[in-house]
Amino acid sequence: MTSLIDRYVYTALRHIPEQQRGDIDRELRASIEDAVDARVEAGEERETAVEGTLTELGDPERLADQYSGRTNVLIGPEFYPAWRRLLTLMLAAVLPIVVIIGVVVQLIEDPDIGKVIGGAVTAILNVGIQMAFWTTAVFVVLERTGAGPGRTGLKLNWTLKDLPRYEPSSVPKTEVAAGVVWPILLTAALIWQHFGLNEVPVLNPANWSFWWPYMIVALVIGAGYQIWLFRRRSYDRTVTVVNAVQQLLFAVPLIWLLATDRFFNPEFHNFADLGGGDVKHWFTVSVIVVVALGTIYDMIKVAVRGEQSRRSLPSKVPGTGNYNFGS
Amino acid sequence: MDATLSGHLQELRRGTVVVASLITLRTPGYGYSLLETLSQAGFEVEANTLYPLLRRLEAQGLLTSEWNTDEARPRKFYRTTEQGDALAGTLRDEWSRIDTAIGDLSVKSGSEE
Repeated sequence: MTSLIDRYVYTALRHIPEQQRGDIDRELRASIEDAVDARVEAGEERETAVEGTLTELGDPERLADQYSGRTNVLIGPEFYPAWRRLLTLMLAAVLPIVVIIGVVVQLIEDPDIGKVIGGAVTAILNVGIQMAFWTTAVFVVLERTGAGPGRTGLKLNWTLKDLPRYEPSSVPKTEVAAGVVWPILLTAALIWQHFGLNEVPVLNPANWSFWWPYMIVALVIGAGYQIWLFRRRSYDRTVTVVNAVQQLLFAVPLIWLLATDRFFNPEFHNFADLGGGDVKHWFTVSVIVVVALGTIYDMIKVAVRGEQSRRSLPSKVPGTGNYNFGS
Repeated sequence: MDATLSGHLQELRRGTVVVASLITLRTPGYGYSLLETLSQAGFEVEANTLYPLLRRLEAQGLLTSEWNTDEARPRKFYRTTEQGDALAGTLRDEWSRIDTAIGDLSVKSGSEE
């Protein structure tokens, strides 16, 4: 039968590198016996003395960690801020892009709304978990191997450049990115619904003589506007006017096509299948309302930003409860 | 309040065990004997901190060790190296510098009251 001391020592040694075991084994036993003897001399029973000594020494795995100089944390304070920044970036910026690409591919292959939503949810879960896992795994390896920031090429030191910009004049990067990706997606969808499907096109083929190419040009102008805005770096009255023009270039003809029933293909009858009634009419009205409201909202938003920037008015900084008073 | 106090005390005492061990082991000693000496001298140190610490100091070249098998129970005796002694000296100088600095601070703020 193994004694309590044996069990304790074995448990500790299991977590210690092999070449150190022999020495630690002897030393640890000697130290335990010394402590037990001292307790016995003080009048304790040997059994209680052993129990007391081992309890005082505490969790043998913790002791082993201390002996082998291991950190008993997954990611220590040195790496934690970098880990959090990278994980936030992955989940907030990279994940949406991956999901959008997945949705587009699904739309091209099989535009079934159920499959599109299902695919998006699956992608968010799968890719999100993979991202979180691998990001964490990389940092755990860095922590274990003791590769300090100096020895790796990783940029772990925080610098002033890492501070987000909060000026009302600065152009949000995510909006610019979305503003470029969105026209590309719409153009792709427009071309694909006509040429990519072997079925009846959803949108009116007659418009290929002028209005659909015009829409593509308007969308390209929209993407170009976003890049121009990004390089300009700030909002002002010029931006307000240019934005309004490029918005109206797209929205006015679109609404006109919808309102005059030239938007959808007259040969496309799948609307009736969606539950009878005047689905097409209501769908047209909804699209007109969404496009009109979206355009007006965007024009007002850009105009307000331009005015705030021009007058250096304080703007609300999201998520902080603070106001930015500009510079 | 007790938890706050003990937390701050722990922060303050961290590192003192190293100095105390290096000074004590100028005379060779083994794990348990050092533990006893330190606790009698008023250092609250746990066995599970001290034993691994001794091996770390040895790996850093501040202590050397030798197995003594003359007695029935073989024991590993540690002794402070020259390097360890020099380091202990530096740490003690730093300790007294901090003590003086804190004393100066409390004298200054005391006179203003």
